[in-house]
Amino acid sequence: MEHTLRAYDEDLDAITAELARMGGLAEAEVVDSLRAIARRDITLAQAVIGRDAGLDALELDIERKSIRLIALRQPVADDLRRTVAAMKISMNLERIGDLAKNVAKRAIVIAQSEPVTPLTSSIERMGELVVARLKDLLDAVASREVDQAVAVWRTDHEVDEHYDAIFRELLTYMMGDPRTITACAHLLFVAKNLERIGDHATNIAEILHYEITGVELTEERPKSDELQRHDA
Amino acid sequence: MNALAPLPADTSVAAIDKSRVKLDVQNLDFFYGKNHALKGVSIPFAAKTVTALIGPSGCGKSTLLRALNRMYALYPGQKATGKIMFDGEDILRRGIDLSMLRAKIGMVFQKPTPFPMSIHDNVAFGVRLYETLGKADMAIRVEEALRRAALWDEVKDKLHTSGLGLSGGQQQRLCVARCIAVKPEILLLDEPTSALDPISSAKLEETVTQLKSDYTIIIVTHNLGQAARLSAYTGFMYLGELVEFGETEGMFTKPVTTRASDYITGRFG
Repeated sequence: MEHTLRAYDEDLDAITAELARMGGLAEAEVVDSLRAIARRDITLAQAVIGRDAGLDALELDIERKSIRLIALRQPVADDLRRTVAAMKISMNLERIGDLAKNVAKRAIVIAQSEPVTPLTSSIERMGELVVARLKDLLDAVASREVDQAVAVWRTDHEVDEHYDAIFRELLTYMMGDPRTITACAHLLFVAKNLERIGDHATNIAEILHYEITGVELTEERPKSDELQRHDA
Repeated sequence: MNALAPLPADTSVAAIDKSRVKLDVQNLDFFYGKNHALKGVSIPFAAKTVTALIGPSGCGKSTLLRALNRMYALYPGQKATGKIMFDGEDILRRGIDLSMLRAKIGMVFQKPTPFPMSIHDNVAFGVRLYETLGKADMAIRVEEALRRAALWDEVKDKLHTSGLGLSGGQQQRLCVARCIAVKPEILLLDEPTSALDPISSAKLEETVTQLKSDYTIIIVTHNLGQAARLSAYTGFMYLGELVEFGETEGMFTKPVTTRASDYITGRFG
């Protein structure tokens, strides 16, 4: 149902629209930063780095609009949860943009060293998984589908498993051929960044769950074996 | 539609631990002649806390408040059925001492209603109806009531000037002082700040906050922010029914019923 005061709906919708745009941009940054690695494309990597400022500006604008809405409209109940969720989701998207920017920076260095093809394809596979999850999640945010967001949230361990596999693979490579160490070290950080992007995606799923149901998502999430993790 | 979101309930009335309930309204119906103004309202009011009643105009919240001290008995053709248990006694039963009841359940109205007499006498007036105090004791009682109503510092040097000379906000706090001077157990506030400016409203809200540790306070308000700020429990009424009742925090972050949610978020009608 609409608010009696129509301008209130317009304010809320403006924030939602901006959040959707931000989601699209963040997703594109992740996709392009991974493409820059796969194709050794320095120009694309630089473009991704340049685009991050746009994401930062959007986050700031969502924050500004949300604070204004809280001050002027004093939202309560679902309106309040929606406003606070928009702020928190935009923070997570901004962090995703930062991580993609970092991947792009490393893409430049990797492009300038000897190719380590089998490794970049492992990274690509992990990247595809992370991007697919991010896409599912942003669709869930746009269509307000809690079930879909929870499905993404529940499968975060798949990303962690990829990360663990890549970690072991990179170690083997570096031990076998020290000349690959520079590229491998950067790829390791790329994998870590992807894993963090996955974490931000689960954060967003939790925020959306609270926004829509008013209840925190607290059930136990499946995790890969902690002892086998090699957190950097 | 997602499966996780529970279906919104039509009405939802949270229970309060019996030992904490000071005033328990059970299945109350109220009639203004043929007009059925309250329909089967059951609501508990917890001791020494503030409960807010909210809802659109004509929803019955003021009617409910007026039933609680049988204010309606002053008017012909008004009738209440059901039970209102006050410390285990049904105040709707015949033969109850209405004057004693109203000493125990004080009320402050929307517009300040000071008597055309001095500030001191305004406060002493009610006390004299129930008790015979010496001059010194009365002075102590008046000071205590004015202090508790957060008015003392503003009026201590002019106690014997007319209460009508005070500002609207001061007059309203004078009415609160007059109410608490007779040592009631329950305070009913009917939109007490709707005629006040923001600063005076804030002072009255501060007074209510101070008083809640000793009194069971029930406040009817159109100001949702005020309900959120002051009360521990909130009841939302609509068309003579209690639609939702529960902890205020829950009401303003996660209301259970669609009607309450639409009302507090400004989507009503």
